Amino acid sequence: MFDRKTIRRRRAALVAFVAASMVLITMSFSSGGPLGAIQRGAQDVVAPIETGANRALKPVRDLFGWLGDTFDAKDDNEQLRDEVAGLRKELATRQTARRDADQLRGLVGLRRTDGFPGATNPVAARVIARSPTVWYSSIRVDKGRSDGIRPDQPVIAAGGLAGKVTQVSGGSAQVTLITDSSSAVSAQVVPNGANGIIKPEVGKPDDLLLDFVQKGRRVRRGGTVVTSGFASDEVKSIFPRGIPVGRVSRVDLDEVELYQRVHLKPFADLRRIDFVQVLTKRPGARAGVPSP
Amino acid sequence: MRVGLLLLGAVVIQLSGLGQLRVLGGHFDLTPLVVGGVAYYAGSVPGAATGFAAGFLLDLLAAQTMGASSLVLCAIGYGVGRFRELRDPSHGLLPIPVGAAAAVGWVLAFGAVSFMLDVGTASVSGLVFREMVVTVVLDTLIALPLFGLVRRVIRPSLAVDPLERNRRRQSPRESGPLGLRGMEV
Repeated sequence: MFDRKTIRRRRAALVAFVAASMVLITMSFSSGGPLGAIQRGAQDVVAPIETGANRALKPVRDLFGWLGDTFDAKDDNEQLRDEVAGLRKELATRQTARRDADQLRGLVGLRRTDGFPGATNPVAARVIARSPTVWYSSIRVDKGRSDGIRPDQPVIAAGGLAGKVTQVSGGSAQVTLITDSSSAVSAQVVPNGANGIIKPEVGKPDDLLLDFVQKGRRVRRGGTVVTSGFASDEVKSIFPRGIPVGRVSRVDLDEVELYQRVHLKPFADLRRIDFVQVLTKRPGARAGVPSP
Repeated sequence: MRVGLLLLGAVVIQLSGLGQLRVLGGHFDLTPLVVGGVAYYAGSVPGAATGFAAGFLLDLLAAQTMGASSLVLCAIGYGVGRFRELRDPSHGLLPIPVGAAAAVGWVLAFGAVSFMLDVGTASVSGLVFREMVVTVVLDTLIALPLFGLVRRVIRPSLAVDPLERNRRRQSPRESGPLGLRGMEV
């Protein structure tokens, strides 16, 4: 198809172009060559043409840019939605972990307070269910008979007394809170030692009533109320002495009534309990709280 | 002269407009298509010369390493021209695969050459390959009209227009057995 001369000329042309390219590459990498100046000069010459072409093509570029941005925006939207969902999940996890940590820290701190009964062999448990009513009456925890939990064992939450165990199954237990209408806890105000019975103001988990406090022992606002661990020959309180319950918030002094009505705010936030400790062992009498 | 203006226009439009036009992460690249178009209609030696000149202009105006684009584009021009000379293609849609092949050769070979010369030991991310694929697809889409435009521009300079020659070769088939129109049996 082609004669030898043509073939030779064609190959020679290719070799010449490749060689010229290699020479250009070599010159580019040698410092101080003329190529840099030529490049700068050529760019100066062509710059006005490039500027004109750039302006002329701007509408086309904008159109394609808009189309590209639309596609990208769709992808970005999906990506950001996924990111937001992930961050929400992470935030919820972290908030839950922080709340759990606060409550566990509170439980540990409570047991270290002065006057708290020792050797109670506490069993930590997570709240797995709450009573569906609005009366904050009971909760269910994830520890049961197999963990040494028995009925009538006291239960504490971060801050103070929470209630007592009322029903136990193999792996869970029902805890009746001190805000339940059937609850009654013998308690005393420290430091003056006035005794009474803590009863709930039903429907008000932030307000407990220390009733049957004799008028002779004047109770002041701000006093701390702890379990008294009352015991006689026939009756014995199930709550050991010295568990903090709450702080006196108000005292009603009615001339007609025989007793003072002391309102107290419980230390434990009974509306938001996630962890509790069941005191599975009854301690012996312990000093630390002044006797009445 | 016509080829020179065509190359200059293509390089300027490429640098000032199309190079900045991002479509799905890639961009149109006129240079290999124009070189491929000239080589497709003019042959291997003009193709190599056009490739060298286009590369020279591109490197000159884009302030790249001189000679890198020339080396790759003259090889592309030579290859496309040789394809035309050996196969003597006549199908009207052939510019599409030829343009795609030129674009593939350009993005791969130029990527490799510039990687060796300028980039060095940096790692290559998947985005580079995505951009290469998109660029090849975009070039394939515009190959047919661009080859037509190149043919229109360089036609007066062509010694022989291969498409015209093929058409002349095919014309007797349209006539009758005696070689005269209107005498079909």
